[in-house]
Amino acid sequence: MKKAIGDNMIPKEWGFERGLELAKKAGFDGIELWLGDTTWLQMGTPDSAVRELRRKVENAGLVVSNVSTGLHWASPLSARDPKVRAVAVRTVEREIETAVLLGTDAILLVAGLVTPEVPYNEVYQRCVEALRPLGEQAGRAGVRIGCENCNAEQRFLISPREFWQFLNDVNSPAVGIHLDVGNIHDTGFAEQWIEIHGPRITRIHVKDVMTKRGRCGDQSVYTNLFLGDNNWPAIRGAMTKVGYDGWLVAEMEARYRYAPDQQFYDTAQAMDRLIAGRF
Amino acid sequence: MLDDSEVRITRRRFLGYTTGVVTAGLWRLPFDSTRRSCVLLDLKEDCGLSESIAGYESALTSAGAMFTRTDDQWSSPTRCAVLIVPAAQDIPPAAVRAIVGCLHAGASVILESGAGFAGDREFRAHRAVLRDSLQVHIAAPVPLWPAHHTSQRIPYVDYTWPRSATVRDFSRVVPVEGKEAEIIARVDGLPVALTRPSGRGRLIFLGSPLGPALWAGDAEARRWLFDCLRTAGGER
Repeated sequence: MKKAIGDNMIPKEWGFERGLELAKKAGFDGIELWLGDTTWLQMGTPDSAVRELRRKVENAGLVVSNVSTGLHWASPLSARDPKVRAVAVRTVEREIETAVLLGTDAILLVAGLVTPEVPYNEVYQRCVEALRPLGEQAGRAGVRIGCENCNAEQRFLISPREFWQFLNDVNSPAVGIHLDVGNIHDTGFAEQWIEIHGPRITRIHVKDVMTKRGRCGDQSVYTNLFLGDNNWPAIRGAMTKVGYDGWLVAEMEARYRYAPDQQFYDTAQAMDRLIAGRF
Repeated sequence: MLDDSEVRITRRRFLGYTTGVVTAGLWRLPFDSTRRSCVLLDLKEDCGLSESIAGYESALTSAGAMFTRTDDQWSSPTRCAVLIVPAAQDIPPAAVRAIVGCLHAGASVILESGAGFAGDREFRAHRAVLRDSLQVHIAAPVPLWPAHHTSQRIPYVDYTWPRSATVRDFSRVVPVEGKEAEIIARVDGLPVALTRPSGRGRLIFLGSPLGPALWAGDAEARRWLFDCLRTAGGER
């Protein structure tokens, strides 16, 4: 198993190259690049500049673990407005293109958002319909689309069996789940999601969660590894059981008030212990 | 169609079948493919919401209705009982001819506006065609949701004809003016659908697309459509 961290965790004033140095020094093997979340990788970033990012990553002794994006929160595949859906599709296509340019084989997608305005059944149908052709496109490019389980925020695909059925309906080997073990909160148990989805898991996001604390202002439910309520020995055991040997990608909330780089070191060390199963 | 052997069933079994079918919202519709049937007009790139046509197709298929999906080059109005035009945005002349031809031949036409998300220029063209060719007067699209967010109300479309039905709106409706027409649906008092005789037939204009609700499996929307088809298809 290899460990990566998102480039959106790099302290804002540090810049890409210094951030890569930090990730390498902290002990990470790779970096997750967030399309649209950082100044260095935007929808309009030309291919040549994306190749340059890859060169910088490799010069730092890292590889790109996957491409992610938060752009689908504002422009989801499930929007009622066809123009917004077109933007969402284009975002996925650009993720696929950049993944190829960056030499990785996985992208993350927040598949759909259930809102008061757009009800569950519409979201489900639109996401299935959109993902079928996108899955074909991704498959041709040698890339897998990982739909992230953002249970609480999406109000969509809340249970692992529901997610399983969704992937069955999409019916594409190139579409799986980017499993976030911190996003399940108190609606279930991450280890059971791992057991159920097994080979369909494209990447795993790691963070810990305090299941009994609801969001309140900036009081997050998320915390660093081993500080929350996730059952990490069970999660590690489930990874072994299903033979998951891929990337673990840290997706923490940047909460260090002082010495923000320390979060990189602490997280890398905690991930080493998770991988080694030393609890 | 049923043949004689299929009709020979006991009354109890027949009631059992129909109860199940009604419960599932899967009524068999009264179209006879040998005479006049239902036609689904696919405007292709002029259809504003592709999922709308998928919704009608899915609903008609699940109901076992005899229908034909065609494009705007189609012209057999005499064989058509009901013409459905989903999510029309730009309505090309050939489609107008098909609609008017059906109405003159005595068919019912369900014309659904797909202009809720259209740009200004497309909407003006849409409005002009409706006004000049079909005498349907519409107003600019109204986004329902932002206005309702504060009150936390769900802006349902309340249909009153041919049956009462409540269907989730598609977020932007095209209001209609009821000149010489019967208003058949409103959202919070705003008229969004009408019907009126036209030629020898009947025009049913929907300013709130029903197709996406059909596509999402909304049972109430399906029941409304089937009642509408039954009423419209049996009028002649």
